[in-house]
Amino acid sequence: MEQYKGQTIVELEHINKSFPGVKALDDVHFHLRSGEVMALLGENGAGKSTLMKVLSGVYQKDSGTIRIFGETVENMNPKRAQEMGVAIIHQELNMCQHLTVAENMFLGREKKKGLVLSQREMNVEAGKILKSLAIDLDPTTMVGSLKVSMQQMVEIAKALSTNARILIMDEPTSALTEKEIEEMFRIIRQLRDEGKGIVYISHRLEELQHIVDRVTIMRDGRYITEGNFADMDMSTIIANMVGREIKEKFPRVHCEKGKKIFEVKHLNAGRMVRDVSFSSYEGEILGFAGLMGAGRTETTRAIFGVDPKESGQFFLDGKEIKINKPMDAIRQGVVLAPEDRKRDGLCTKLSIRSNIELPNLDISSNRVGVVNRRKVTQMVAKAKENFSIKMPNDEVDAGSLSGGNQQKLVVGKWLARDSRVVIFDEPTRGIDVAAKVEIYNLMNQLKQQGISVIFVSSEMPEVLGIADHIIVMCDGRITGELDIGEATQEKILELATRFENKIATGAAGA
Amino acid sequence: MEEKKQNPIKKFLSARGVGQVVTVLIGLVILCAVFNVINPNFLRQRNVANLLRQIAPWIIIGIGQGYVLITANIDLSIGSVVGMSCMIIATLICNGAHPVPAVLVALVASLATGAVNGTLVANFKLPPFVATLGTQTICRGVAQLVNNNMNTDGITGAKFGAAAKAMTNFFYYNKTLGIFNTFWIALVLWAIFNFVLAYTRTGRHLYAVGSNTEAAKLSGVNVSLTILKAYMVSSFCAFVLGLVVCAQTGTGTTNAGMSYETYAVAASVIGGISTMGGTGILSGVLVGASVWAVMDNGLQMIGTQVGLKNVVVGLIVIGCVLLDVVRRTGRLGKRKS
Repeated sequence: MEQYKGQTIVELEHINKSFPGVKALDDVHFHLRSGEVMALLGENGAGKSTLMKVLSGVYQKDSGTIRIFGETVENMNPKRAQEMGVAIIHQELNMCQHLTVAENMFLGREKKKGLVLSQREMNVEAGKILKSLAIDLDPTTMVGSLKVSMQQMVEIAKALSTNARILIMDEPTSALTEKEIEEMFRIIRQLRDEGKGIVYISHRLEELQHIVDRVTIMRDGRYITEGNFADMDMSTIIANMVGREIKEKFPRVHCEKGKKIFEVKHLNAGRMVRDVSFSSYEGEILGFAGLMGAGRTETTRAIFGVDPKESGQFFLDGKEIKINKPMDAIRQGVVLAPEDRKRDGLCTKLSIRSNIELPNLDISSNRVGVVNRRKVTQMVAKAKENFSIKMPNDEVDAGSLSGGNQQKLVVGKWLARDSRVVIFDEPTRGIDVAAKVEIYNLMNQLKQQGISVIFVSSEMPEVLGIADHIIVMCDGRITGELDIGEATQEKILELATRFENKIATGAAGA
Repeated sequence: MEEKKQNPIKKFLSARGVGQVVTVLIGLVILCAVFNVINPNFLRQRNVANLLRQIAPWIIIGIGQGYVLITANIDLSIGSVVGMSCMIIATLICNGAHPVPAVLVALVASLATGAVNGTLVANFKLPPFVATLGTQTICRGVAQLVNNNMNTDGITGAKFGAAAKAMTNFFYYNKTLGIFNTFWIALVLWAIFNFVLAYTRTGRHLYAVGSNTEAAKLSGVNVSLTILKAYMVSSFCAFVLGLVVCAQTGTGTTNAGMSYETYAVAASVIGGISTMGGTGILSGVLVGASVWAVMDNGLQMIGTQVGLKNVVVGLIVIGCVLLDVVRRTGRLGKRKS
């Protein structure tokens, strides 16, 4: 595609896209030239993935113009996008583990003679493409037996086998090792030099210097700016990414910081929880900030005993406690309101009453296991009153409550049993502003009662607005702690993107 | 990097599904040897001929169930479709129809069942277990309804008795090249559907859908149509077995094919077709069906009770599934994270 080199090959103008209740894209512009790597940057939820899904036809735009190679495309769909040379390398791998490399590459576009598949021809063709990328891989290998990094290379090879000229890579390096990242960059540079246009989405900001030519920044579904990477410094990029003012009101309650309640020492659990140590105090909300996939959810799961840990100690009120399974944690008073409340937090098809009853059966039933209905009724009444859960009666399905009320129910069921430490993992995700404020008030209420509140959130403004002390994680490690007085969005983002420097800086632009 | 040359034997064994088939084949040979030591009549020509004919039904429906399992679904209606097909053919012949149109009616009814199964699962997204359990009951009901809940009279005594006699001979009693036709029929079906599965686009899509539906969809595979095809093949195979059963007994029996769907699962699973989809080859069905029939025949010949066979074969099936789970996840009792 030599004639396109340096020309604008993708033009997205005035793109709007709404989902029920949310404006995901608001008058967005995006331009991509051939032979360049364009970084698309923004915080979680800025609209990067939505924009790329509009470009690749997964989503339909509400309004705006899509021009590819100068041709205006009105009704984009995945098939049309593929024909025009647009290919997405998905963040989550989309490979058939039981098929070979070549079979995956040609899936849906198999070559055949008459009725019979031309296996050999496809293997040869796949081999050629892999070879052109200098990937040493036998096309008859089962994909399931390959490492994640290699599967990703196969995805790229698959995209190229469809003659893709516009490649969208969504966090391609998130699961790769240093060596594999270098290999990935080598391939990206090769494709760029062949004149392909590459959109590169990544949260690893220091990675950009190695491959990126230009940058487009989005925030809150809007286009903010674009420019040559060389003309921007990191602080400008970060400032543009977080530049929004804090819109919501955060009800802050001041409490005296009291004694230490809960302490975690040297917790290790897999790659995403590495040597995590922290303490939480009475009268304090401890915020956990970071990007998605920083290891915060994994940390909460390891503390709660859901996932196995390799090492680590827990101390509650100065005494060491052992937690090997959730029941241990619950008995000692350490409880978790999980990230996905519909999946992990509640039995949505059971009644409100049953949901409150379930984790407390040990204290509401007698020795033979017969449940004392009166005790349960008291618990339900207590939860309803303490957290003003709005419900027609306690026999309706938990799933029928609004998001905010579901969250209160999750907390309510735990506080029926005098818990000491309550961990909230992304408690405000997917609920409206009014319900959010209720959750904040709920956390404040717990804080005033002297319960240790641990608050995990990817939304920086709410962490800044509610927490008293902030721990920032990146890549499974704690990369910093900030007192609320000194914390700013810029500082948090800087800590949240402090990945272990996997590549020596000297290799820039090679 | 240096060129890695794989050992050709190792490579053959690591190809799709081959490993399990070879393992089970070795087990089958040992099994036959053991039976033959206990009762030397086991491998005499007469018994081998019978044995091959006893293998045939499990090959026929094992193919169908195998197709469905590879797409990570299941077909529980197989046994009832066998019964329905058998009853329709026998009832029509006994009421004066020529065997050819009788068979065609059964074929249409069976394929319609496959189409319904496929549509319920692929388009209406019903859990395959429930959807095909429903059609299982319906088809059994149809098998009972067609002749007022009674078995039919002998089909050779009907108006087209001679044609019916020819049919029973062709599908069950006659031999070609010294082997009963029933086995040849199973083998021909196997050859056709093995070819489709291994060498055509449809076959590739069956594996892809069973392996990762989302990836298949994103690659432009028509997932619904692929699942529909699998269920149609399954019902077609059940129809063929219904015809064979009718030929064997010479009558229609309302409970013909009862619980055959379980045997079909057994034949597939023993042969290495995973109930989790995406793996296995049709050669496995040949081996799995043989294990089933050899156990049946062998245990009978050494004079054990019928119940014991069921116990043993049940254990083998569970063992094979456990092996499959261990192979896929690396250990037992832990979910793959």
